[in-house]
Amino acid sequence: MNTRLSKVISGTGTFFARLLLYVWSAFSVFSFCWIIFGSLKTTKELFKDAWGFPKEIQWENYIKIFTEYNLGINLWNSIFIVSISVALIVAVSALAAYILSRVIFKGSGAINKFFVFGMGVPFQLLLIPLFFQFFQIGIVGTKTSLILAYVALSLPFSIFLIQGFFSSLPSVLEEAAAIDGCSPMRTFFSIMLPLGKSGLVTAAIFNFISLWNEFLLALTFISDRADYPLSVGLYSLQGSMQYTGDWVSLLAALVVITVPTLIIYMLLSRQIIEGLTMGAVKE
Amino acid sequence: MKNSKATRKSTRMMIILFLAPAVLLYCFWFIYPTIKAFYVSLFDWNGFTADMNFVGLDNFTELMGDTAFWTVAAKNSAIITFVGGLIIFALSFVICAVLSTKIRGKKFFRALIFFPAVVNPIAVSILWTFIYNNDWGLLNSFLSLIGLESWQQVWMDPSRLTWAILVALIWMYSGFYCVILLAALDRVPENHIEAATLEGASEFIIFFKIKLPMIWNVLATALTLWCINSIKEFALLYAWGGGIDIPPEGAINMAVRMYITAFGKRLPVYRMGYATAMGVVMFIAVALLVFIVSKVMKRDKLEY
Repeated sequence: MNTRLSKVISGTGTFFARLLLYVWSAFSVFSFCWIIFGSLKTTKELFKDAWGFPKEIQWENYIKIFTEYNLGINLWNSIFIVSISVALIVAVSALAAYILSRVIFKGSGAINKFFVFGMGVPFQLLLIPLFFQFFQIGIVGTKTSLILAYVALSLPFSIFLIQGFFSSLPSVLEEAAAIDGCSPMRTFFSIMLPLGKSGLVTAAIFNFISLWNEFLLALTFISDRADYPLSVGLYSLQGSMQYTGDWVSLLAALVVITVPTLIIYMLLSRQIIEGLTMGAVKE
Repeated sequence: MKNSKATRKSTRMMIILFLAPAVLLYCFWFIYPTIKAFYVSLFDWNGFTADMNFVGLDNFTELMGDTAFWTVAAKNSAIITFVGGLIIFALSFVICAVLSTKIRGKKFFRALIFFPAVVNPIAVSILWTFIYNNDWGLLNSFLSLIGLESWQQVWMDPSRLTWAILVALIWMYSGFYCVILLAALDRVPENHIEAATLEGASEFIIFFKIKLPMIWNVLATALTLWCINSIKEFALLYAWGGGIDIPPEGAINMAVRMYITAFGKRLPVYRMGYATAMGVVMFIAVALLVFIVSKVMKRDKLEY
């Protein structure tokens, strides 16, 4: 192809690609601002003047979701369920990831593959058997069952993620520790664990965000309204709109459910993005 | 010598001690129910009574002839996986191509593009109902604002609901895959690009001819992730029922159908064996897709 033509083509290509990026970004910013503005309007105002700023800020919408719609209890449930799950996931995965990435022993490859297999299983396959496993031991419908499911089902990816961090550490560390007579156990706790901390933090953030937003398992395993985490609470609040028509409060609820992940994301987006890609990019 | 023997012993202790919690939890609450699923799929069972009626492969035979499953749920799943995947990766390429060049505010845009991936899918679904709504939706009112009334549509019309939802899904997920590809692109050695630039190759040609082949493995990983996640997709579609009802047909994929078959909505269905058979079909679909991706993307390692 003649070069001038190809330059014109790629020039227009670059132009449209940039345009796409700008429109896309503008849309994301717009939709977030729209939800915030909407949540501060009255319902009448929302439908009459969807594009304008709120005339008078309606903080009542936020008060109402906690007093009238009891979203506070859902918020607390989410914090409770997610933080316990994340703590357990990180602790259990860190130990396993360390062994699988740093200690050479027979069967380590097989165990690794065994965990990787879990990443490809759609949860729909095991949903019903797991439900009745919980049923048999009498915990179905409780927060315990959900936490247990979260921990077990998050292990494969978390182990995979943390392994990436441990295996990037230089191997001289253990050798030096062994020469100095440091036991393997102590080597782990006082040398390797502090060095792999960023991996644990990344796994914690990642699991926090994905469990905070998790819906299928929460919907299946939690039966009592008082135990609903936020995502199921939001879902049933959405359902109540046909009776109440209180759409502005629903928008306020959207803000409440998004803000925790948004704050974490804004503070740590670099770490989330780098951590997530570490596993994928490193082969 | 004695010392090293002791070390070896304590290493073995450590291997067992450290792996045990993960392996036990994983086996008991993940692998066991996974295996049990294949067993359950051979029974007619409502779940809450002890009598499980063995029916062999009847659930699968019934599922094969279940036109509602294939023409609605499986079709929508296929649209999401294939059409959605095609668009998501095409968009990711374009945005990556822009963001991997020296553009101002690169980090800002990267964070912004990724942002929808951290938003709750139920919230995303509610946002898009506001956008698409017929009477007061943002899209139609935007079109009339800029004088394009003739473009106004009933966006959530049953005939195009799946496509409307697909747009929401694409908005939600593109950033995630884009960011994974970007991280790999950032690792492509600078000198290759410089050499090509000196020879007068444009940024676009550099992207497709030089950078893309170098991130092939990461692309394969990203595609595999998409195959798994797209089949699993549940929350965004299920929430299209408005929080009260079974979602409309256009929002039913295999995951939603499976959930409804097991636990129902308003009217309990409780066909546990049949629903699990659907789970098995989904598992096979994922396995097939992952296999195809690994075959198609297989290539000799590129040295650089």
